[in-house]
Amino acid sequence: MNILASYNWLKEHVKTKLSAEEFAKEFSLRSMSVESIDRLDQRFENMVIGVVKSIAQHPNADRLRVATVDIGEKEVPIVCGGTNLAENMRVLVALPGSRVRWHGGADWTELQKTSIRGVESIGMICAPSEVGLDKVACGDHEIWDLTAVIDAPAGASVAAAFDCNDTMFDIEITTNRPDAMGMLGLAREAATAVGADFIPMKGLSLSKGEKEGSFTVRLEDDRCERYMAAVVEGVTVGDSPWWMQKRLLFAGLKPINAIVDITNYVALELGQPMHAFDAETIAKDAIVVRQGKQGEKLVLLDGKVVELNPSITVIADPEKALAVAGIMGGKDSGTTAHTTTIVFEAATFNALTIRRGSRAIDVASDSQLLFEKGLSPSALPVALARAVELAIEITGGSLVQVIDEYPKARKAKVFPFHPDAARRRIGVDISDEQQVDILTRLGFEVAKKKTGYAVTVPYWREDDIEDEVDFTEEVARMYGYHNMPSVLPASRPPAGFDDASLDWAMWTKKFLAGAGFSEFFSNSMVSVADLEMYGVSPKDALPLYNPLSTDLTHLRPSLIPSVLRAIERNQAFTASANIFELARVYLPQDDGLPEERMMMVFGEYGVIDAENAFMHLRGVLEYFGEKTGIAFTITRDGENDHWHDGRTAFISVDGVHVGVLGQVASDFQASFGIHRPVFLAEINLEALFPFMRHAHQYKALPAFPVVTRDIAVLVDEKIEFEKIASVVRGAKNLVTDCSIVELYRGEGIPSGKKSVTVRVTLVSPDRTLTSQEVDDVMTTVVRELALRLDAVIRG
Amino acid sequence: MQDALLQLQTEALAVFLNVKTLEELEAARVEYLGRKGRLAEAMKDLASLDAEARRDAGKIANDVKRTIEASFQATEARVVAGAAEERQAQEWLDVTLPGIPPAVGHLHLTTQAIDEISGIFAHIGFVRSRHPEIDWDYYAFESLNMPKEHPARDEWETFFVGDDGEVAVGEKGKIVLTPHTSNGQVREIEKGELPIRMINIGKCYRRQASARHLPMFHQFEGLMIDKNVTVTELKGVFDYFVKRYFGANRATRLRPYHFRFTEPSFELDISCAVCEGTGKVDGVKCKLCKGGWLELGGAGMVHPNVLKAGGLDPNEYTGFAFGWGLERTMMMRSGINIDDIRTLYKNDLRFLTQF
Repeated sequence: MNILASYNWLKEHVKTKLSAEEFAKEFSLRSMSVESIDRLDQRFENMVIGVVKSIAQHPNADRLRVATVDIGEKEVPIVCGGTNLAENMRVLVALPGSRVRWHGGADWTELQKTSIRGVESIGMICAPSEVGLDKVACGDHEIWDLTAVIDAPAGASVAAAFDCNDTMFDIEITTNRPDAMGMLGLAREAATAVGADFIPMKGLSLSKGEKEGSFTVRLEDDRCERYMAAVVEGVTVGDSPWWMQKRLLFAGLKPINAIVDITNYVALELGQPMHAFDAETIAKDAIVVRQGKQGEKLVLLDGKVVELNPSITVIADPEKALAVAGIMGGKDSGTTAHTTTIVFEAATFNALTIRRGSRAIDVASDSQLLFEKGLSPSALPVALARAVELAIEITGGSLVQVIDEYPKARKAKVFPFHPDAARRRIGVDISDEQQVDILTRLGFEVAKKKTGYAVTVPYWREDDIEDEVDFTEEVARMYGYHNMPSVLPASRPPAGFDDASLDWAMWTKKFLAGAGFSEFFSNSMVSVADLEMYGVSPKDALPLYNPLSTDLTHLRPSLIPSVLRAIERNQAFTASANIFELARVYLPQDDGLPEERMMMVFGEYGVIDAENAFMHLRGVLEYFGEKTGIAFTITRDGENDHWHDGRTAFISVDGVHVGVLGQVASDFQASFGIHRPVFLAEINLEALFPFMRHAHQYKALPAFPVVTRDIAVLVDEKIEFEKIASVVRGAKNLVTDCSIVELYRGEGIPSGKKSVTVRVTLVSPDRTLTSQEVDDVMTTVVRELALRLDAVIRG
Repeated sequence: MQDALLQLQTEALAVFLNVKTLEELEAARVEYLGRKGRLAEAMKDLASLDAEARRDAGKIANDVKRTIEASFQATEARVVAGAAEERQAQEWLDVTLPGIPPAVGHLHLTTQAIDEISGIFAHIGFVRSRHPEIDWDYYAFESLNMPKEHPARDEWETFFVGDDGEVAVGEKGKIVLTPHTSNGQVREIEKGELPIRMINIGKCYRRQASARHLPMFHQFEGLMIDKNVTVTELKGVFDYFVKRYFGANRATRLRPYHFRFTEPSFELDISCAVCEGTGKVDGVKCKLCKGGWLELGGAGMVHPNVLKAGGLDPNEYTGFAFGWGLERTMMMRSGINIDDIRTLYKNDLRFLTQF
């Protein structure tokens, strides 16, 4: 979580002369990240206080007026659309050359001297958001009325008038360090990081109050660990002073009234959220901290109505709820201009209750963000004392009563500490003295023991420090990671090896890309529609308990629905392509975790020539098998509704089914809205991994000449090539191979028939074949083909 | 006879001199040197001479034969070369015709990054491990020193498996879609094979979806455990990776941070390439980075409680771990400027085939 921290404020507690840039650099290296630096004097450069002298209607625009503004040495015309513009109003004038945010947008632009609809305008009269102060109260289409805010004369520079010769740091505070969300804690951290002295706050303590008070506090919910209250009488609630408003504004907080501002200021200063009640609104002067009641309603400060329940801690009186503990106060119990007696609350609530409660009622606040990080009850007395001190100073009044309910006081945490262990872990020789010094500066109390040290954890780090090892981090970061050497591990090699399945998966992806297939990479989460469109019952897929949206509800048990969905999206732009996806699918098991099975799908969509597409995919698969030492058996035997009956083959290895190759059944092609046939191979890669190897087998080259002869035969359409090939191969043992050269149908071929041109390869292991021998073999081949397959030799 | 032979020689040489084309060359060869050519005929006539005359004439005949053959060879070389030259002079092609790209496929950007990143870590001895992407709460959180109430365990950031309003629960807690690859840490330690130098790249899932965040993304997790592993070695490994993956000119920074499963913990930053680490471009705040630095991801020394969960004695073993977003890392380098990260997994071939 990020905060905006004023460098001037920090310097009240850190004795340093570093420039803002140097400070930010050193601080980021050892503590938390300064993400940006905003120089306020630069932000307000070329901006002055102006006083509106006279106002005239713009001649060419209904909604614009032309103000004559005294900017010190002269009076200038400025065109302005502000609806609240009035004579003698003190305003913020941005002169040409300054940078503003148009209508409070995100980008800063440099202002030019210009003319607006034909009228010259020297600069701009600004709204607060136009100079980056979004939290200043200001109506829509209004400009910032500074008349009551500041009494600087016309022409005074804004930076000087606001006394903001300051720099704001935008710092990311890690969740374990709520103490650094307050300026004091941040300063302590910073002092150690930049090697400067820390200047603590002057000691504060609370007297019991000047007279006996009538208020009581009862803790009925043990999720409130400690509750302190202070009653201050006789206050006058007006606006808070400018110095306080300014600090709140630049930190991004909105000034409300003096009391609310004080509670926010203390939170900003000390990191302890506070709340203030108007004492009048508390029935019977009795505060009860209890669980919310089911169905109980409360109107919050921001007007939102929330329904409470027992999981939420509530601050109440005997009659009604007053506030949602640690999250937001109620509208009716807050301070107003009429408030005369206030009750300050400083309490410690359970972090988890606050976090879950905030989510449950959907209300967020700065207070809640602090509480949910875990705060210490020991922080309360100082925070309460500070609030009372400021209240008396700003609103008058006197302290009448202090209440402290703290049933089980925490004990300070103490852990052993061994500098040697820290050195071993860090790998740098940091001396005992240096380590102890770092811890001490951060507020830890370090005591020497017989072996090592005993370290007492300060209350503001109670939640963060859990064990001795945490001290190592304090030492390491303050020593500076940038001061440590960079060393490559020189120790023993690892005991394990690369996971073979991952190696093979990557190899296979590269193989497929090399073979011309482009890779799809889909979300593993799919919708019920995706599954059902592919005929998969959602019951066979792993369901998400808390899906993000209705189109991501199940984990896919098959890659094909994702692939088909992707094909559908692509077909309009890329009519056909070779694609693949290789990923784990998640298969529900009866018990325990799902099976994560690596699957691959590759194929071609937008197919025009089915035979060619099938041969292509089959060829890729067979070549893949050749390269990985796997002998695929590809047969027609099998049945699967997902695939086109006549155009599908089943793939097995050693009798074990491992996949399917063929055309996606037209029903499913149609259900996904795909126009042209899709041919896919779906392979269970997981089943192949154990058998995959880089197969390089040497076969001796033939010693005697190889003879090839092509013959074209006319056969029935449904005579499969494999039948022809087996007849040819079986004809004579000199035949070593039979491959296909051409398939032809069309002119000259009767319908229901096809012409198949095959190439017969002959070779003898021990002699050169004579042409007579070759002719004899071919005669036998032709005879066998005619006899067994009714084949007729063509041409 | 001898005159006749010399006459033949003179005539042949004169004819060869005028031969210009391959056709004329072949005709000349047949005429004079063919099996039934003039020289062969003349040789045949030698047989009719008596022995002495045959010896004298034979000598001359051989000289004539050699001379004619040599002349023919020279002629042949001249004509063939000339013919080749002429052919080349006429040959031409249009060099502005478009190239035919090789019919290769395209690996997804993410696959390319996985391959490259695991390759870099392989150089320094890290081996790739495979761990579940759907796992027990125990491995995803509990064993990583994340107490029950840790925000990451709340359902609004992590996906759980379950149906009908009930989260699936088993021997080691709830079943979650791993929100990070760190679930591999204790699983790897439990294998009991030490020392460990693991790189685990896998899919992760979080309940988020925006131009910058995907519900499914990848992380790469490094884990090194041995006796006496130190922060300085993590720094070394980080520097090595950054210089190899991003380039030798990139600076690195370890910045303190907080994670439950490491102690000490830090974020690893690399200098921004756009503003060259200055944080400003033309005097305006750099839009890509924070003050000149880009966050690569988290890292730290493995928390003693994590080592214990895996059955190791933290007094004997130490280690470091890091887990970085793969897509983020890839985007940081590539300069592809994909403004919406969801484009990566939309499977649009017009996008995919660009890489």
